[in-house]
Amino acid sequence: MSFDLSFAIRIIPQVLEGLGNTILVTVLASFGAALLGFTWEILRRSAKPMRYLMRFVIDFIRSTPVLVQLYFMFFVLPYYGILLPAMFVGIFGLSFYYSGYLAEVFKAGIDAIPRGQYEAAQSLGLSSFDTIVFVITPQMLRNIAAPMGSYFVSILKATPYLAVIAVPEMLGSAFDVASETYRYAEPMLVAGILFLILALTVAQLVQRLEKRLMLSTRR
Amino acid sequence: MNALRAIDPATDKGPATGRPAVEIRHLSKWFGDFQVLKDVNLTVRNGERIVICGPSGSGKSTLIRCINHLEAHQEGEVIVNGTELKAGMKNLPALRRDIGMVFQQFNLFPHLTVLENCTLALVRAKKMSKAEAKEIAMRNLEKVRIPEQAEKYPSQLSGGQQQRVAIARALCMSPKIMLFDEPTSALDPEMIKEVLDVMTALACEGMTMLCVTHEMGFAREVADRIIFMDQGEIVEEAPPQKFFGAPEAGRTRRFLDQILH
Ligand SMILES: Nc1ncnc2c1ncn2[C@@H]1O[C@H](COP(=O)(O)OP(=O)(O)OP(=O)(O)O)[C@@H](O)[C@H]1O
Ligand SMILES: [Mg+2]
Repeated sequence: MSFDLSFAIRIIPQVLEGLGNTILVTVLASFGAALLGFTWEILRRSAKPMRYLMRFVIDFIRSTPVLVQLYFMFFVLPYYGILLPAMFVGIFGLSFYYSGYLAEVFKAGIDAIPRGQYEAAQSLGLSSFDTIVFVITPQMLRNIAAPMGSYFVSILKATPYLAVIAVPEMLGSAFDVASETYRYAEPMLVAGILFLILALTVAQLVQRLEKRLMLSTRR
Repeated sequence: MNALRAIDPATDKGPATGRPAVEIRHLSKWFGDFQVLKDVNLTVRNGERIVICGPSGSGKSTLIRCINHLEAHQEGEVIVNGTELKAGMKNLPALRRDIGMVFQQFNLFPHLTVLENCTLALVRAKKMSKAEAKEIAMRNLEKVRIPEQAEKYPSQLSGGQQQRVAIARALCMSPKIMLFDEPTSALDPEMIKEVLDVMTALACEGMTMLCVTHEMGFAREVADRIIFMDQGEIVEEAPPQKFFGAPEAGRTRRFLDQILH
């Protein structure tokens, strides 16, 4: 079966049907992962029992396969009366899994800020709240922009996992085309290229953001 | 003799009235098992200029960091502007606003312009309007002779300029006491003078100052008293003339031989 370019072009609209969900899941899961990851990291920096608990939780999240986590939420929780819509499981599942990695990104970003920054803020009589908001966070954002962006791309590339819990997305649409027409090369290539374009777009956006942060936070 | 003191009326008034600026009594501090400060006693009057010197690791930084509670002490009393510093006290930020601190590494906020570095605490901690804060900031930047750099970021300035901005930032809070921890040690030799000049000018205005420094020319010219620390203790405490001319302790003499080559 030779590669049919005109067929590949014809099926683009069908594959694009999944685009909306792919973007929606990527954006919301990125946001959720950052929010959860930041929360984990702040909790990990608090007093003792919580600190140890969070160290374990973060390691646990990162050391279990994302598919196991998704299956657990979608197929196991209903046994205990917790029935969650597939879309919610998809977004929350990816948020949860990647929050473990983003906690590490936040940790590195905060650790990179020299002690002297806190001491200068304290000796000026700034409150802890003002120190975090006006001194630490802006510097942390600069430190984390690049690694966080690469995790956003990872989240985009992880959206096809949601096929296992029947969330329609771009690879799923491509697969539908393939199973209807028994041609795999063209749908997979089209999906692959579309993912590539999306990934490059995310990377580009992050780079632009990073540049802007750099401009105002040069060392 | 001391040229500065001759032209400076502030020091000719004799001992300033009211409570001393800093009272340190029987101060001891440990890092783990290691005792950094051993029964340190020191009283600094308002308007007095103290220079602290001593070998590396002798506890100089720790001592002045106890004065604004960047380090907590375990024994003894530290009373600053009449208030005793205690662990967990609530009004610590307010007390710290009266104590300016200048660090060896400048510690300017790299994401803020020179002007924003100076106005941040005025706006956030002192609740001033932006315009009011800017006026105070510009006045202090002029004092350290760097107003034309107000819109630049710290990384665009030389080390000497950054340290002068750090001094201006501290002065913006109108502190009653200024602490300097080796303010010129991270600077290239040609920039040391511009920072020392600013500090000397500050001393002339009658600011209460505690400076950890090994700039003995500055100490001789500006200090009312020079303190020599070694192994967590104050070994010698004397006015410049006596300190350089006839130090009592052998350790002081050996130290002076070393740094005055
Ligand atoms: N946070 C800390 N934890 C453990 N030990 C410390 C800490 N800070 C300082 N020390 C130790 O306490 C001693 C005194 O330190 P300090 O910084 O006060 O010395 P210093 O006189 O300022 O020296 P230098 O001239 O090198 O700046 C040193 O031996 C140092 O290693
Ligand atoms: Mg020191």
